[in-house]
Amino acid sequence: MAADAIISCHAVAKSYWRGTLEIPVLQGLDLEIPRGGYYALMGPSGSGKTTLLNLIAGIDRPTGGTLEVCGYELNDLDDDQLAGWRSQHVGFIFQNYNLVPVLNAFENVELPLLLTGLSRRERREKVLEALALVNLTDRMENYPRQLSGGQEQRVAIARAIVTDPDLLVADEPTGALDAKNAEEVMALLERLNAELGKTILMVTHDPKAAHHARIQIHLEKGVLDRTVEVNR
Amino acid sequence: MKYFRLVLRSLFRSKRRTILTVLFLAVSVFLIATLQSILATLDGFANNPNASNRIAVRHKVSLTNMLPLRYADWIRQQSEVEGVMALQWFGGIYQDPSNFFPNFAADPEPIIRIFKEEITDYSEAEWRDFLRDRNGCIVGEALAKKYGWRVGDVIPLQGTIFPINPRLNLRGIYRSKRTTDEQAMYFHYKLLEEGVPFMKGRVGSFWVRAKHPDDVPRLIERIDRHFSDAAEPTLSETENAFQLAFLKMMGDLATIIHSITGAVLVAILIVSANTMAMAIRERTTEVAVFRAMGFTGSQMLGILMAEGILLALMGGLSGLGLAWLAAGALRTGVGTVIPWLTDFTIPVDTMLFCLHVTMGLGILSTFIPAYRVVRRPIVEGLRAL
Ligand SMILES: Nc1ncnc2c1ncn2[C@@H]1O[C@H](COP(=O)(O)OP(=O)(O)OP(=O)(O)O)[C@@H](O)[C@H]1O
Ligand SMILES: [Mg+2]
Repeated sequence: MAADAIISCHAVAKSYWRGTLEIPVLQGLDLEIPRGGYYALMGPSGSGKTTLLNLIAGIDRPTGGTLEVCGYELNDLDDDQLAGWRSQHVGFIFQNYNLVPVLNAFENVELPLLLTGLSRRERREKVLEALALVNLTDRMENYPRQLSGGQEQRVAIARAIVTDPDLLVADEPTGALDAKNAEEVMALLERLNAELGKTILMVTHDPKAAHHARIQIHLEKGVLDRTVEVNR
Repeated sequence: MKYFRLVLRSLFRSKRRTILTVLFLAVSVFLIATLQSILATLDGFANNPNASNRIAVRHKVSLTNMLPLRYADWIRQQSEVEGVMALQWFGGIYQDPSNFFPNFAADPEPIIRIFKEEITDYSEAEWRDFLRDRNGCIVGEALAKKYGWRVGDVIPLQGTIFPINPRLNLRGIYRSKRTTDEQAMYFHYKLLEEGVPFMKGRVGSFWVRAKHPDDVPRLIERIDRHFSDAAEPTLSETENAFQLAFLKMMGDLATIIHSITGAVLVAILIVSANTMAMAIRERTTEVAVFRAMGFTGSQMLGILMAEGILLALMGGLSGLGLAWLAAGALRTGVGTVIPWLTDFTIPVDTMLFCLHVTMGLGILSTFIPAYRVVRRPIVEGLRAL
């Protein structure tokens, strides 16, 4: 594997079982993503994009092959170790934002920091920093229902980066947004990649969104089909 | 501690559901605490450890049939007997029928010997004044305080059972260890005997004090046997048995109260299990999100359990608070009518029982749904929308 790869998947396989019937989703997939890369993962519905993303993010286990992510062989970690690993290395961005409705923007962003040993003051500093980055400092007292979809997704992005992880994974981050808000979120992700050097792996259907990535990879029938470098 | 806000907020996610559940728990705990406390109070009353060497002797036929006063002489001669006292429930009214307190006509001298454990503190001078004054009476301090009586006051009583209206001189005020025992008034038996022709030489009951509690069964047997062929046969029983007869329904009451408690506990379990199951199930996705962020399964289980326990605790504590307030109201309101409720409290044991039970049910009803949601694979939780 290349020295600078942050993600390297080797012969990764994943099957689901429906009774005795095996449904293969990923079949011996190889993939390397260098540190600081910005990748868009594309492909038809049901091709296994979410499945692959979840394996790389360490919230699912492969049925075969190995994944080395952020310097760790994920198969070697037990569930609690994997949870600790996620809290340090991975930031999640979901299609439905998945903010906690009973917490305000500030408290939502603070959540991942509760797992660290940081003091209240240190946590507050980091939260304010993250909120400033997504330009929502003035909305930190607002609850999710008081925010627009675009704002909610930006809070979710602040939550994903507040622990300063190396890797951001995003599953259809603009899937629920209108064009204008989608554009804003994409610009934000681009900045996180360009200015903070975050490695981003994003699943998307939207060619416009995919255009913001540096590299597009296409998944078809469980294997990577082609890789396209985006020219800008 | 840093999770406390999260737990509290999550608990009030659905305000109405949480408030209704807390209210339900509070009312249930209130019910259990109050009923169990009443039972404990009555139990304590009927199992008065002070009464272990006292015997009540009454007419075999009923409490309203009278015994000859001279029976006291024979009883007094028995070697195990420390003292005998004629005692008659007078049932007099002070000013207004609602001013209820127990008042008795009694042989004056033996009172302090027979009620040694209850009349624990009195002035010798006042006691001598009482013995000297045929129209004198003594009352407990709590009773005196209630009506603002002072030694030297004249207390008019209006007879209800007996056709006399004595005007009694308050000669002494005694104190007891418990305020329950400071509720009574005693006046000279002679006053009743001389004022009421049909009471001449007769009395409703004798209170006998044995020298030793072990002598009590033998003494009871001997007294009743001795008078069995007399025109007025006796029925002797321990004071506690006598009180029990007075509270005849106690046995049934205990069964009823325990059944109600059991039913309420089952209801609490069902309702809180349902609430927690709903509250947790609708957060399947959220739990998955937390775990994706790096919270471990046991941390999530802890957070959810904390919610369930806090909910149970809020309900349990409010219920106990209600019961405590009610106990105070009962003491001042009903306590004077039903004397054994003057000391009515929620015993510490009952409080602990209620807290343990609500906590236990909280843990039980939360654990199952919490464990199930935490065991679910993260990816499934994220998909469940
Ligand atoms: N838990 C599961 N049990 C059985 N089959 C599953 C499960 N999860 C996913 N699959 C199947 O695996 C395949 C890939 O699913 P996946 O969600 O990765 O697709 P996707 O590329 O993300 O699709 P979409 O673009 O619609 O989100 C699908 O056929 C899906 O039905
Ligand atoms: Mg998908």
